[in-house]
Amino acid sequence: MAKWGMVIDLNKCVGCQACTAACSQENTRLPGENWQDVLYYAEGQNLTWLPRPCMHCENPSCMHVCPTKATYKTEDGVVAIDWDKCIGCKYCMIACPYGVRFYSDTKPLIAPDVRGAFPGDGKRSWAPPYRLPEQFEDAKHGVGVSPSGVVSKCTFCYHKISKAPKGTADLDEDNPATKEHTPACVRTCPAKARYFGDLDNPQSRVNQLIRDRGGVRLLDQTGNKPQVYYLTGVGGSVPSSRAKQA
Amino acid sequence: MSAQLNAPGRLNGPVLAMGLAGLVVGIAITIASLMYSGHAAFNTTNDGVSWGLPVAVYVFFVLASTGLTFVASLAMVFGMREYYPIAKRCVWLAAATLIAGFASLAFELGHPFRMLWAIPLSFQISSAMNWMGLFYTLYLVFLLLKFSRMHAGDWDSGASRNLGLASFLTVIVAHGTLGLVFGMMAMRPFWYDGLMPIYFLATAFLSGLALAVFITHLAYGFSTQNMPARIAALLAGALPRVFAFALGLVILFVAFRTITGLWSNADGLEAFHWMVRSPWFWIEAAALIVAFYILMSPGMREAARPQTVASVLVLAAIAIGRYEFVIGGQVVPLFKGTWVPGLIEYVPSLTEWMIALAAISLALALYAFGEKALDLGAEPKAG
Amino acid sequence: MDILKTQITRRRFLQASGAAGAAGTGLSTLKLGSIPEAKAQGTAGGGAYTITKNICHQCPARCGIDVYTMDGKVHALYGNTDHPIANGKLCPKGPIGTYILYDPDRFKQPMKRTNPKKGRDEDPKFVPISWNEALDTVATRLNALRDKGESHRFMLAYGRGWGASCAGLLGAFGELYGSPNVPIGHSSMCSDGSVLSKQAVDGNASYNSYDYRNSNYLLIFGAAFLEAFRPYNNNIQVWGHIRGEKSPKTRVTMVDVRMSQTAAAADRALLLRPGTDGALALAIAHVILTEGLWDRAFVGDFRDGRNRFKTGQSVEVSVFSEKWVKGLIEWWNIELKDRTPRWAAGVTTLAEHDIVEVAREFGTTRPAIALFERGAHTHSNGVPTGMAIHTLNALVGSLFAKGGLAYQMGPSYGPMPVKADDYKDGYAKEGPWKKFPRVDLKGHDDGYPLAKNMLQEIARNHLAGKPYKLDTAMFYLTNPIFSGLNVREWEEALKEIFVIDTSPFPGETAWMADLVLPDHTYLERLQDAPTYPFQGFPIAQLRVPAVKPLYDTKYFGDTLIEIGKRMKGPMGEYYKAIGNSENVIRHIAKGFEKDPGDNGVNSFETWKEKGVWYKKPYMWQQRSGEFYEWDGGGYNRKMAPTEVKEKLLKTESGRFEIRSGYLEKKADWIAAKTGRAKDKLAFPHWEEPKYTGGGDLHLITPKMAIHAEGRSANLPVAISLYQPGTGGRTQTLAEIHPSVAKAKGIRDGDRIKLKSSAGEIPAIARITELTRPDVVVLPFGHGHWAHGRWAKGRGSHVDAIIAQQSDRISGMANYYSARVSVEKA
Repeated sequence: MAKWGMVIDLNKCVGCQACTAACSQENTRLPGENWQDVLYYAEGQNLTWLPRPCMHCENPSCMHVCPTKATYKTEDGVVAIDWDKCIGCKYCMIACPYGVRFYSDTKPLIAPDVRGAFPGDGKRSWAPPYRLPEQFEDAKHGVGVSPSGVVSKCTFCYHKISKAPKGTADLDEDNPATKEHTPACVRTCPAKARYFGDLDNPQSRVNQLIRDRGGVRLLDQTGNKPQVYYLTGVGGSVPSSRAKQA
Repeated sequence: MSAQLNAPGRLNGPVLAMGLAGLVVGIAITIASLMYSGHAAFNTTNDGVSWGLPVAVYVFFVLASTGLTFVASLAMVFGMREYYPIAKRCVWLAAATLIAGFASLAFELGHPFRMLWAIPLSFQISSAMNWMGLFYTLYLVFLLLKFSRMHAGDWDSGASRNLGLASFLTVIVAHGTLGLVFGMMAMRPFWYDGLMPIYFLATAFLSGLALAVFITHLAYGFSTQNMPARIAALLAGALPRVFAFALGLVILFVAFRTITGLWSNADGLEAFHWMVRSPWFWIEAAALIVAFYILMSPGMREAARPQTVASVLVLAAIAIGRYEFVIGGQVVPLFKGTWVPGLIEYVPSLTEWMIALAAISLALALYAFGEKALDLGAEPKAG
Repeated sequence: MDILKTQITRRRFLQASGAAGAAGTGLSTLKLGSIPEAKAQGTAGGGAYTITKNICHQCPARCGIDVYTMDGKVHALYGNTDHPIANGKLCPKGPIGTYILYDPDRFKQPMKRTNPKKGRDEDPKFVPISWNEALDTVATRLNALRDKGESHRFMLAYGRGWGASCAGLLGAFGELYGSPNVPIGHSSMCSDGSVLSKQAVDGNASYNSYDYRNSNYLLIFGAAFLEAFRPYNNNIQVWGHIRGEKSPKTRVTMVDVRMSQTAAAADRALLLRPGTDGALALAIAHVILTEGLWDRAFVGDFRDGRNRFKTGQSVEVSVFSEKWVKGLIEWWNIELKDRTPRWAAGVTTLAEHDIVEVAREFGTTRPAIALFERGAHTHSNGVPTGMAIHTLNALVGSLFAKGGLAYQMGPSYGPMPVKADDYKDGYAKEGPWKKFPRVDLKGHDDGYPLAKNMLQEIARNHLAGKPYKLDTAMFYLTNPIFSGLNVREWEEALKEIFVIDTSPFPGETAWMADLVLPDHTYLERLQDAPTYPFQGFPIAQLRVPAVKPLYDTKYFGDTLIEIGKRMKGPMGEYYKAIGNSENVIRHIAKGFEKDPGDNGVNSFETWKEKGVWYKKPYMWQQRSGEFYEWDGGGYNRKMAPTEVKEKLLKTESGRFEIRSGYLEKKADWIAAKTGRAKDKLAFPHWEEPKYTGGGDLHLITPKMAIHAEGRSANLPVAISLYQPGTGGRTQTLAEIHPSVAKAKGIRDGDRIKLKSSAGEIPAIARITELTRPDVVVLPFGHGHWAHGRWAKGRGSHVDAIIAQQSDRISGMANYYSARVSVEKA
């Protein structure tokens, strides 16, 4: 099976938030529920930005703390949430070093609450007409509009990638065969700064980029080992400090 | 003997009434609020403070319960017979506070009832929270069984002793795993500490001692004249001294932890600066120090009123401390960039306060019921 | 809590449907209820989704999109892979289109005002009416005006007109009806400063098309390349290529007044005093000439090859032989010889060495593009500034060159079903309306003879009765009462005028309207749109309805045609012959039969299927000082100078006129109205900008990346992503430098007031070093007082405090000349 991973090229990313908007649309997110988020940082006049999806870590601390195993890792390397098992204790939100998780029952960021305009139907905490169609929803993998009282996060667009033919090395929007299987953020990125593929396939483009451009992982010292890699400079960039685990 | 109990007892009625009233008000407002706006009635948000006041209340109560059992165990497990006179009262209050803690947590969860089948059927062994839940549940069972033995007059049969031991051991494990729930979080330096269970144990013991002193005085109308001799002796003898010792230890813990956090530059420890910027921290510190002074002063240590004041100060300080602890570990945002430019601002909402009120009231009501009907002053016959 | 949730959802459903019941009978608060769904919820989603083609509506770029629909509901928008601008991608504005379609505050049918009083706080008390009644009301009114000989008092103003089937119909309507004010475009509030600047020097009244992909240097003045400059989506694609893949990597210098994304991502950011871009451009030109960096093949050279450009020293005109420029030496002598980097540093507050380095980089890297937009030209000195910047392109030979900039070809549309000229009656040909100027005084010596439009002053003109008072005004895709300058004048003016709004949304104009004839939103429309200037080759894209209209709305093109049909006389016949907007589109598509697109589109049906017709390449190229036309295989056919004049450098001389003949023709008028020196005004020259409003800080109101042309203020997701650089996620924030904050005792998050001569607005302060100490940055787009439940009352209405000042030549509204004072509220 694949071990899905993502590469984000910070040299090309312009911080436009198209990825965030596409994810919000594809996955019917509430305002502020940025499964994919572009985070800006300004120190003095130094303005930088960082697109931040879920890292889908190899050693996810969120999974280890979930009391009901609602958060688990699929065979193809995706960290998923089973909404039928989630009790909403939010321990996973505490345990994630990257702040990628969202609880479905919080005060709305924007008032009046959008959910008031599109009330839920019991199964979903809100039900707008533009939501992800039912046949793509997948509560066992946390895909679609979540019910109330559970945690949600980026799914690597599992409803798309899980339909890719086995053995596909890369999911690229420019390849007609894989366009519909490509995660929304990767597909729409106008700068083509995002890549998605199989980290277990040495020939995949993601591995090639990591190798050639020195891909790094965020907060490597936590040991979570994200499956999302960032490309920064060509020579000089933050070294990956983790020794290989046995 | 038990006849001496309830002699004043005049405070039980009001306490019970207060408890029930608070419970009703608290629960009513909470439920109305949750029905109207779901969890949006809470002020916890996706910025990073996910565990708010209800969790701090939970921690306060279950650690209070832990401490009370510890105090009772001085007699039940460690054979220090001078603690027997207050043991039954401590055990009952331990049960009451534990139930209150659970109630606070239940309102906090997204799907509390699902927990009842999902955890047993899909138990994540690496989750400290699971072990905490399991052991606190086992502890409650053992505790109530022990209480029923005590109530039946069976204080030290083999079975009774084993139940006492089981209660003690399970609560040690339970509070320990509660400590690990926080202490295992390597990405949150404010909490990350393998010794967090020890910190919890010390503060739990302290809150148990404070509560033991307080409820004993409450039961006897805040005057030693109404007390049975053995209780009076305990309150003039070992108890305040152990109390002082535990308080001194906790003061050191708090001081060194705070100093370390303020000194270090590491990311995440800005929370300590947040903590000391609040007047509540200084109220907490002052309360702890004043209480310590009282308990170290020969003149005040053994007197009822100063003891009561000291216990109230300590309980207030611990309550503040629990809140600081739970919130402090979350105020530094993780990867929110300019969306949250400083520290996350959180104050509990009305609903969250109502949950706290409901939990406190539940504890009070249960306790007062026990005081009224369950002869909490009973002790094993001498000899 | 799960059990409680079922209670909540039932409760909320009752609330929502209760509101819907109230809204159906009357719009007391313009709050509309729930969206009707095509099918019941819980349909086991059978069947695949369909993809239809459409064009994103959220900016002028006109990216082709694929619309994913299932069970009659649109659930996703992605870029059309085969569209040359979108290439399968979208910027952040693209995906929010689904929220626009399902905006719960949309009008559901035509509305009639029943409250005679108008104002911000006056509820119009709309009642729903039928389309027949609505259209009859308009026609009756227009016919009556015409019968009285006052047809000139009907104005139709439009903003983002798309193509032949909507805005394209307006010219004929105006001519047949008899009003010079149909249509009046918004371009004076948009970007005419650049259009007029280019017209003055190279004869093309247009935006440029650009060949960024092959360019090695971008010098960007006041154009937010990575935040707003269109086509934004394609800009980002190009950026990824030229900065991340292309060898050699394209160098970028950004000239702006704040540390924006583009400034941060560029190789160099030059943050200068607002309104001084012209000084920088002149200094760069100075260095290019003194250091001999100009492109001799295009510009020409000294006859003996010796460079005589020396600071402060005049040059004899005759010693230089000009190729494709005119007036270079005169320019040097009268203006440029003293415009040194040191001088520019003083004016702009930039460092002298930065200016010299940029000039050398720009001058030695080929091909290089100097581009600019509103940041540079929305000032009182906008036209000379624009001319100066655009002249840099001439100096380095980028005009019409590979890796340079050119202009845009139009699509091969077929003719309309009938010709308007055949339906003009006597009134249309010679009626009293012909004696009246346009109400915006475009083309009039008392007004703006050289401007294309002058929309922002119409309210003022109406209130003064000069040239006359309007009777009826109709608005299509424009909302100047919110986005104009001196907006209070618009409020007063619209109180007196019979207002017809066509927006789908209850905006400020609708609030002041007597009639609302709501348009479809774009995903419900069949609508054409030729491309905005892009890479030069012609493109025409098409909107195909993805769903049946959700409500009883009507496409504007059809609204206009239906009104037309009800007009008396031959005008009515014209519109009956036109039929409807679909007929118009079918007719223009016939043009593709003879000129099929590169993707095979050669008919209406294939156009609908593919969504876009285009034909590469751009037909002309300049190379080493010669112009060539595409011959089918390459740019091989050399063009004669007369052809160059006819098609490319459309000036009197057929060359790039640094000394603008176009301006010289009106020199007397320009000198009289602007005070500019007659001998200098035809050249790019430095002029100190005139700021407005009083106050000590420049108010800069940029466009944010997710600002969707007038429609994002009511979209919660857009609001939550609006101002990421400084964390504005529930409303816009006023970005203030720490030194300013300290001086005024303002802390981060404080409520503040921004005051100018035009008014006062509240704001929330964000302290940041990303802005210059003399600038406060407050993005536009929020501060609505209508427009929907999320828009109303959120953020700061910046246009309310920008005083009216318009460029006398271009008519350009000087948004960025504003100055304000800031204090704690």
